[in-house]
Amino acid sequence: MSDPQTLLTTHELTAGYHVGGRSVAIAGPLSVSIQPGRMICLLGPNGSGKSTLMRTLSGLQPALGGTIDILGDRGSSLHNPSRLARKISLVLTDPVRHNNLTVYSLVALGRYPYSGWLGTLSEEDKRIISWAMGMTGIEDYAQRKMGMLSDGERQKVMLSRALAQDTPLMMLDEPTAHLDLPSRIQIMQLLHKLARTTQKGILLSTHELDLALQVADEVWLLQKAGGKLEKGVPEDLVLNGIFETVFDKEGIHFDKETGSFHIHAGSSKKIGLTGEGAAVFWTRRALQREGFGVTSEGLPSIHTDGSTWTLKSLSESRSFTSMAGLLQALRTKSISHEDIH
Amino acid sequence: MMKPARFHKDLSPRSAGNKAWRWVALCTLLILIFFLDIALGPVRIPLKSVLRIILSLPGEDSTGHYIVSQIRIPKACTAVIAGCGLSVSGLQMQTLFRNPLAEPSVLGVTAGASLGVAAIMLGGGSIITLYTIRELGISGSWLITLAGCLGAAVVMLLVIMISRKVRDNMMMLIIGVMVSTATLAIISIWQYFSDAELIKDYLLWTFGSLGGVTGTQLYILGLVTLTGLVLAFLSSKTLDALLLGDNYARSMGVTIHRARVIIICSTSLLAGSITAFCGPIGFVGIAVPQMARSLFSTSSHRILIPACCLIGTGLILLCDLIGQWPGNQTALPINIITALVGAPMVVWIILSKNNLSIYG
Amino acid sequence: MNRFLFFIIPALILACHPPAPKNTPPTAGGADTTQVQTTIRYAHNFTIDYHDGFKVVHILDRNGTRQDTIEYVLVQIGRPTPAGYPRAQVIPIPVQTMIALSSTHIGFADFAGVADRITGLGNYRYVNAPIVRENIRTHKTAEVGLDENINNELVISMHPGLLMAMSNPEANAAKFKVLTDAGIPVIIVAEWLENTPLGKAEWVKLIGALTNREALVDKKFDSVVKTYDSLTQLSRQTKTHPHAIIGMPFKGTWFLPAGDSYMAHFIEDAGGGYNWASTKTTGSLPLNFESVAPEALTAQYWLNIGYVTTKQDILAKDPRYASFQSFKMGNLYNFDKRTNDLGSNDYWESGVVNPQVVLADMISILHPELLPGHTLVYYRQLQ
Repeated sequence: MSDPQTLLTTHELTAGYHVGGRSVAIAGPLSVSIQPGRMICLLGPNGSGKSTLMRTLSGLQPALGGTIDILGDRGSSLHNPSRLARKISLVLTDPVRHNNLTVYSLVALGRYPYSGWLGTLSEEDKRIISWAMGMTGIEDYAQRKMGMLSDGERQKVMLSRALAQDTPLMMLDEPTAHLDLPSRIQIMQLLHKLARTTQKGILLSTHELDLALQVADEVWLLQKAGGKLEKGVPEDLVLNGIFETVFDKEGIHFDKETGSFHIHAGSSKKIGLTGEGAAVFWTRRALQREGFGVTSEGLPSIHTDGSTWTLKSLSESRSFTSMAGLLQALRTKSISHEDIH
Repeated sequence: MMKPARFHKDLSPRSAGNKAWRWVALCTLLILIFFLDIALGPVRIPLKSVLRIILSLPGEDSTGHYIVSQIRIPKACTAVIAGCGLSVSGLQMQTLFRNPLAEPSVLGVTAGASLGVAAIMLGGGSIITLYTIRELGISGSWLITLAGCLGAAVVMLLVIMISRKVRDNMMMLIIGVMVSTATLAIISIWQYFSDAELIKDYLLWTFGSLGGVTGTQLYILGLVTLTGLVLAFLSSKTLDALLLGDNYARSMGVTIHRARVIIICSTSLLAGSITAFCGPIGFVGIAVPQMARSLFSTSSHRILIPACCLIGTGLILLCDLIGQWPGNQTALPINIITALVGAPMVVWIILSKNNLSIYG
Repeated sequence: MNRFLFFIIPALILACHPPAPKNTPPTAGGADTTQVQTTIRYAHNFTIDYHDGFKVVHILDRNGTRQDTIEYVLVQIGRPTPAGYPRAQVIPIPVQTMIALSSTHIGFADFAGVADRITGLGNYRYVNAPIVRENIRTHKTAEVGLDENINNELVISMHPGLLMAMSNPEANAAKFKVLTDAGIPVIIVAEWLENTPLGKAEWVKLIGALTNREALVDKKFDSVVKTYDSLTQLSRQTKTHPHAIIGMPFKGTWFLPAGDSYMAHFIEDAGGGYNWASTKTTGSLPLNFESVAPEALTAQYWLNIGYVTTKQDILAKDPRYASFQSFKMGNLYNFDKRTNDLGSNDYWESGVVNPQVVLADMISILHPELLPGHTLVYYRQLQ
């Protein structure tokens, strides 16, 4: 029995598609739920089936097996598009070629399930449209043509449209793809705020691991082979090491400490590092890029206080006033055999 | 769900006042052109006489009366019907396929109508077929028209059946073009085996003509076109949603398959019947929706559909007027004129707007 | 004695070898050697020049100019092909077997008395001449196909003495190259280029020339001309010239014969009036219905209406025709009276080469009082 508050529940859901008579399962069986006011990020490596799962959950394609319950609708009543339209709104990756459509008319389309039989807008409709545009901060663009907006602004318009549809659930498929960094951060912040203020349940799939870990209330981690889904609060998934397992590959490593991926594998070249503050963090980064494995003690070692770096080896001790200088020295210096552990 | 409580300013476009002005101007222009089309023609009839004939006042020369009431007025009415029908079906095609160059013939329905007509005019290859068909009791121009409607209907059903299997609109577009090509190939085969006289007759038919539709035929064409227009208008909202693509439309509540069937039916009724009665008429379907979008600066179909009717009617009446310029005895087929007028128009639209779009 | 022989022998030699004869009557088989020279008086689009042992035929183009002509050299069998005509196609005469692709040419052949020499035709359906129909029945005549569908192999295997084609003089060479390369003589008989009834009929003289039957053809043709002229005289005496309209519009375009065309000349010769008699061209005028309407509403006669059999058919095509004066008076005539069971209309066969009969029909229609005893031969009044 689902919690009366729950917006969406699945039970043993299998998502996939039919190709030439056969059915190919991509994800599942999985049992998940979406609560109001929560922002859920669906993460997973490429090819893990995020898009297929999104399409299945949003009703765009039928499930291969299992059930979905959306606010009391399940089974065949789920496939009544007009009912579903009042429950879920979408932001998709479909190409946006709406160059001459005005922003206002596009957002107004979100009122489709509610507007008059010819598409006429009531006062209530207009108010909601204005509200939706206000939430995303695009009020000033109302009469501008879509073709004159930047990618980030356009994405906000699509988000506005979905907001105008005024549904308890919102699902977004890679909403930050193709956007520059400031826009990406803005969108993620916006979504987080929306979930909190409007109590909508927001599900989005994304590749923005970094941002997702910061803003998501819940993370669903879809694994590649077998389509198994791990869900939980982001920190739990990280600290349990599940995150690492899902994303670990040859030469890629997720560092729990820093919450980021290490591009460079550790090596046998070890060097010690001591110090405090941001300098330590960034010096470690630089040393890793040079191919060193960084430990907290041992020789040779480096000490930094933010403005100077002191390099101590068995034979000598040198000081540098910039990172560049340190690195240069490390490159040219041949570290003698006894320095290597 | 949190509803917006505080007042939000209305951001909707303020140009409602301007739009009313545009409608009035367009309607006035249209009535003027309609009247000109009836008043002017190869045979010179004084304006006063024309007015008296329109108002059914007695006492006019019987030749003049015949020309105005039996030739010009039915022709002008046919022009109005064709203008509305072709432009609205073109609009629907452009929206359904999200392609600014789509036109009514893209589904293959007009080719189907041509096929039906060609079957009668060329298929048997001789007068003997006509004798045989006469035994069935249908004769005269009805035969050709009926055959055209039948051909269009067959293609329409074919396309609807295919649309069930095909999810993607691009695929449907390709299939429509293929159906078109195939039917035209069959017609070519018939032409190959036909006498020169029959080929010439069929060729004349392909030039299009507004003149052959009178009396009962006009009523039937009017009725069928009205049905198609009503279907289209009722689908305004769905057409608006389809602008964003099938996925978004579905997510907003559109039953895609049903929407497609209604649009196909409407387009087939409009384009198929007009082609069956008047022959193929081109350019109106492509050019007019673009002009309507431009002029009214909107992509909302509940405005565009009436706008297309008005502009389409005006365009065809204008072309008809050019074709029957006073003193010009030679018959100029409507298709030639719409091509000469329509092609530069489309080019001008493309150049002036810099990016041809279906989104107003 | 010796002196007698000296005179006798040359006389005997002379008696045995007469000089080239001028007027030998035709004999059966391939021995025709007439040199009756015919003159072309009415037709503008072909000429025949006579030489010793051969005739040169030119088929001219639409304007009757000497450009774009086709040249044929008709060489008497047994005589050498003359030099000096490199472009010409050579046709050995008299032709004994021929293939006719047009029913008009069958009409010509029948007129010239050589219908039994037709061993092939384009389509079994388009023929009225009894002799040819009998030959079809007894399988003496083959069906070779028309236009693009000519069965070249069949034609070549038949080795006809001539293939008579109906085509455009400009388009002649390519179409029949396969046949001419195989040695089959092909001649374009383009009588349709003519714009007068007698001119068209005169093309029968070409058949006469091909079969060395000029004498017979000339005699019969002179009779035709005489009758035609006397009929024309008759009609010229009338005071009234009732107007006639021709054909039927299709979808708003009415193709009417121009003032200098075949049909216009017929009407004029029959004492009728034609609204467009003053236009100068020989083809058709594509007019819009409205321009024709004033005349169509008042003209008393409607001829050559088209593929209709009854008045009801006319109304079915367009109810507006009921307002035509000719319709109200019932003066509706089509030239399909002599249509046989195959659907072939003799107007296009014997009608072309007997314009005097067609003219009599037309006078009888337009001025019944002039030929009271005449029964319509080719024309039929629609009921």
